[in-house]
Amino acid sequence: MSWPTAFADYRISVDVGGTFTDAIVVAPGGDRFIGKALTTPERAFKGVSSAIANAGQQIGLDLGDLLKRASLIIYGTTRATNAIVTRNVAKTAFLTTEGFPDILVMKEGGKTLAHDFSVDFPEPYIPRRHTFEVLERMTPEGVAEVPFDEARAREVVATLKDQAFEAVAVCFLWSITNPDHELAVARLLDELMPGVPYTLSHRLNPVLREYRRASAAAIDASLKPLMQAHLRELDNDLRECGFSRQLLVSTSIGGCMTIDEVAQRPIHMAKSGPSMAPIAARGFARLEYEDESALVCDTGGTTFDVGLVRDGELAYTHDSWIGGRWIGHILGTSSVDIRSLGAGGGSIVWIDEGGMVRVGPQSAGAVPGPACYGRGGCEPTVSDAACILGYLNPANFLGGRMALDEEAARNAFGTIADAVGKTIEETAYEVLTLASEIMIDAIRDVTVGEGYDPNEGVLVAGGGAAGINIMLIARELGTRELVLPKEASALSATGMQFADILREEAATFFTSSENFDHSGVTRVLSDLAERLREFSLRFGASCDHVVQLYAEARYANQVWELEVALPGPKAETDEDLARFVEAFHQGHERVFSMRDPHSAVEFVSWKGRLRTKIGVEPGGVTAGADKASGTARSTRDCFFGQAQPTATPIFDGRSLRSGQQLIGPCIVEEPTTTLVVYPGMKATTSAHGNYLLTTS
Amino acid sequence: MATISSPHPSADTNAAGRDAKGRDAKGRDADHGPIDPVLLSILANRFDGIVREMTNTMLRSARSGVINSARDFSCAICTGDNKLFACAEGLPIHIFGSDIQTQYMCDQHDDIAEGDCYLHNDPYSGNTHPADHAFLVPVFCEGEHLFTAVAKAHQADIGNSLPTTYMPNAKDVYEEGALIFPAVRIQRDYETIDDIVRMAQRRIRVPSQWYGDFLAGISSARIAERRIKELARKYGVATLKAFTGEWLDYSERRMRQALRRLPKGRLSRDARHDAVHPILPKGIPINVQLELNPEEERITVDLRDNIDNLDCGLNVSEACSVSAVMAGIFNSLDSDVPRNAGSFRRVTVLLRDGAVIGRPRFPHSCSVSTTNVADRLVNVTGAAFADIGDGFGLAEGAVGLGIGMAVVSGKDHRTGTGDFVNQMHVGTNGGPASAHADGWITYGIPVVSGLMYRDSIEVDELKYPIRIRRLQLDTGTGGAGKYRGSPGSIVEYGPTHGPMTVIYPGDGQEEPPKGVRGGGDGNLAERWVLRADGSETKLPNAAQVVLEKGDFVRGVDCSGGGYGDPLKRDPARVLHDVLEKYETVERARDVYGVVLVQGSDGTLTVDRDATETKRQDLEKRSGL
Repeated sequence: MSWPTAFADYRISVDVGGTFTDAIVVAPGGDRFIGKALTTPERAFKGVSSAIANAGQQIGLDLGDLLKRASLIIYGTTRATNAIVTRNVAKTAFLTTEGFPDILVMKEGGKTLAHDFSVDFPEPYIPRRHTFEVLERMTPEGVAEVPFDEARAREVVATLKDQAFEAVAVCFLWSITNPDHELAVARLLDELMPGVPYTLSHRLNPVLREYRRASAAAIDASLKPLMQAHLRELDNDLRECGFSRQLLVSTSIGGCMTIDEVAQRPIHMAKSGPSMAPIAARGFARLEYEDESALVCDTGGTTFDVGLVRDGELAYTHDSWIGGRWIGHILGTSSVDIRSLGAGGGSIVWIDEGGMVRVGPQSAGAVPGPACYGRGGCEPTVSDAACILGYLNPANFLGGRMALDEEAARNAFGTIADAVGKTIEETAYEVLTLASEIMIDAIRDVTVGEGYDPNEGVLVAGGGAAGINIMLIARELGTRELVLPKEASALSATGMQFADILREEAATFFTSSENFDHSGVTRVLSDLAERLREFSLRFGASCDHVVQLYAEARYANQVWELEVALPGPKAETDEDLARFVEAFHQGHERVFSMRDPHSAVEFVSWKGRLRTKIGVEPGGVTAGADKASGTARSTRDCFFGQAQPTATPIFDGRSLRSGQQLIGPCIVEEPTTTLVVYPGMKATTSAHGNYLLTTS
Repeated sequence: MATISSPHPSADTNAAGRDAKGRDAKGRDADHGPIDPVLLSILANRFDGIVREMTNTMLRSARSGVINSARDFSCAICTGDNKLFACAEGLPIHIFGSDIQTQYMCDQHDDIAEGDCYLHNDPYSGNTHPADHAFLVPVFCEGEHLFTAVAKAHQADIGNSLPTTYMPNAKDVYEEGALIFPAVRIQRDYETIDDIVRMAQRRIRVPSQWYGDFLAGISSARIAERRIKELARKYGVATLKAFTGEWLDYSERRMRQALRRLPKGRLSRDARHDAVHPILPKGIPINVQLELNPEEERITVDLRDNIDNLDCGLNVSEACSVSAVMAGIFNSLDSDVPRNAGSFRRVTVLLRDGAVIGRPRFPHSCSVSTTNVADRLVNVTGAAFADIGDGFGLAEGAVGLGIGMAVVSGKDHRTGTGDFVNQMHVGTNGGPASAHADGWITYGIPVVSGLMYRDSIEVDELKYPIRIRRLQLDTGTGGAGKYRGSPGSIVEYGPTHGPMTVIYPGDGQEEPPKGVRGGGDGNLAERWVLRADGSETKLPNAAQVVLEKGDFVRGVDCSGGGYGDPLKRDPARVLHDVLEKYETVERARDVYGVVLVQGSDGTLTVDRDATETKRQDLEKRSGL
């Protein structure tokens, strides 16, 4: 099969979010078009096809013609995440080592508020009544200390069959050092419950720590029936409309994968959309500033996502939870580090008992939404502040889909202004500043954890609401390079266009620098490379493949490992080892500002990542910029912290010339996003149609 | 002799409408401009972020499992004039006392300068217990000592006479043997003073592990220093000072409002720590008296009616005495009230010198100050609140550092010469029921309240030469109630080669966690040694046991106490408990009066009529 790396045909990416479905279509020649539609949870294809059709209209092609001429569709969705959160998944059994039935209950401990006794302990991902113990036990050395009791395991599987389980997750202790017992269960499942999907922990996620493996296996197995059906259905629907080429799915590791592969490991769809935002950010940082480091902030109506790119590499984490840290369920697999904060335009502003102004965490959500939506919401929100300040066009909000009720917003803010002792407009501005602070806090949590200085790289803003306060955030962070892409409102779908096919293989193999097992490590690394090479053969020799190897390592006696990229695949000599150790010291110093040169380094696990290059470069020009007028459409009274309004020029983004400089205060209205340029700040349109922003 | 101690003197208003500190009616200091409610929120958020960053730094760079796996550490910021200012997510038992430590640092050193760092672990001058090493970094802004950052972490070893950081049987500090650092300078001009490091490394087991944690502690405090200086540059020293005043006043306002909602009254409650052999075969009696005064918006806690110091390691330091009652109080109030010197102004704690709970008299040992008696004190305070009436307070939670939280030590055959010593954190211990919810399963002990992390079985087996062969919930044991306590768990482990020493300070084998308002008590803890020859022997409440290969220890946790009458428990909750195997069909019927029937398709449902009858019957019988 051939892979569309050139602009020979249309490439389509679709990101199905909670409220909107975004599509990006890249035309031959590189022009990009944004399509939007409301998400249709009952049948995803309706929203998907509407969003594609919406972009098609701008090109002048109907849905069928566009799909026929599309060489590639990349698909991302919140579907898997929603299923995990609502537990609307298959009836799944959890098989564990005898004596350890509560791995999914006890997790790794932890609680947020010490003095809060008002909530019940969270239910495990798989109910205890669906948990079955199997007599067996491996040791850390991979020795079967308690042999696999096949007869009893057979009884367990027979019970699963009787009780009509739809999926099975298997996680035994130390299956990472010897998978024989998990494999033995697999044989029984194949024999007695053929066709019922299952997940083996060592195969899906061969990492140390039983809870992380068990949780990953449980989530993965529980998603299989649902996501396999979902992907099959989408594939059929697209093909019935005339699409005949390759459908890929965007995954949590920040790449794309074929639907067959993802159907086997649907857990990788858990952060399918959000994981693409940093890829978009990397693209725009390179394009506009030739910088390899970027921070991305993606602001939706109810969530604020933050991600990181450093030296051209995305930040990854093993510590992603669905449904909240400690109280939710850990993904356990390595995935793009995207932190999601429940903050956005819908966050409610309130005054607590002590007289302090607070923003969130409660949200007005999509229904009833902010007061200014005029749908019955009467509590003041961050969007209401923006509305009061004149930043939102009351007549053309969401491209004219909604009229804003400014009076309702002002009424909602009355009590807040009274408490602060300032005018409603001054108060609204302060509240916007406070909301920005809370977002800055989330940014710091991410950057600090990675030892990244927030003003060292490019800040890339995304999401429909990003332009309202991103310049306030950037000024506070001291960011020097800031870009709001033309496609800001569809950043994840844009990232899919830049993404490559990624595949990971991992293995656990413990050794220390004091007593390094050169031949063991060599064997593990070459085995990983071989498995990845086999996979790459599917895509033919015309594709460009790169393999990067990683180690999870720590100083002796540390408990948590740090992932470091290995300088090369060779582990045979003492010089090779010295290079591994130095790579670790450097990584440790970067993240923790500290190295311990005298300590032994313990290597716990190993990973290989294959990159098959299919992404497009983010260049391209949006059509029509050459015949633009460059003049303001109108002026509006806006407020920037003063009691008196400022007559503020309003620009239509589509009428700006490239290279045009806008001096704040002014507002730019794009069809799907609004950019506020504050007094003393500056925006310049780039040759590629993006906004380059300067806060001082 | 009794003396009166208040965490911070109360601020009564005088006739002129200003209190002794010159605050006006709105609680603002006269010498600074007002901080508006939004800036207050912004700066509070910033400080919260700074403490969180300290926490993350410690968590991710520390070596020993007790810190980075079990999260037995906490970070705080005190003001330059030594008031507790900010602690986010810190362990409840670490809430109070950092300010006494920084005060002591200031008293002992008249040349404190930028670039200094001090190590403090002395329970006689504000620390919790010697195992917690606190790193104190004075933060200078424009030449002024504006704050002190405090990072406190439980060490894997502190040079005690036995390989454990908990010495319940130590007669005095000399027998305990801990190295003590009473605000000892360990950095000058940002350079470590190597003499101290060398000294410590000579006496602390697995010195490289300790040194790694030492570096982590300093990094954590230094990160706060860096961030506070950034903040001072942005907002100015004057604004920061105004903010600290306003934040403490705000916290006090929040506390006053919370206290206003309590009824007026006096509460007194007794508790008992298990026997301490041979010195106290009847255990340690504990008393707490609370006076709630909603009109004055004040709580007075009287801890003076407690026995004199004991010749063992269970004496509770001043920091822990106050922290434990504060934890009990905060457990019973709105969880959103900030914990700092401002809210503490509304609490007066009366302590006695030379008491087992209070201010210890030298040279009594406070080795186990943070847990055993302090755990009972947290419990009894929360239970006292429950005595107010339905909807108040909470039941008692599981007590006892047992097998699942023991310190294990020995030689690791796999590395030849490598010694190991560290505290395990695999047990769960059942949480107490409250007026609104069932007990938290991974509760730990009252002084940590579920905050700590638990070890991975695989990580423990990789780090130590041990085999864990069982870890599961001990179902059907949670204290019954309208809301039920959480069950504890059962754990079994032993050495893969031996010998291995297991030491635990115990509690919970004689006196169970109490239920409140008609709720049932939790069950008792048990600890066993299972020898290779098949013999099973029950271990004492606190013990040191040496295991050879083939031997195992078994720990059974306490469960949490219940809240309210079990016959009032929602039958749907009882059904769920049975389906999820937290409870049995028999206990559902006999204890909760809920009769379950199996339908033709095998599903269990509540038989409403039979349940009604059964509950009336049980009620009648209990009335007899």
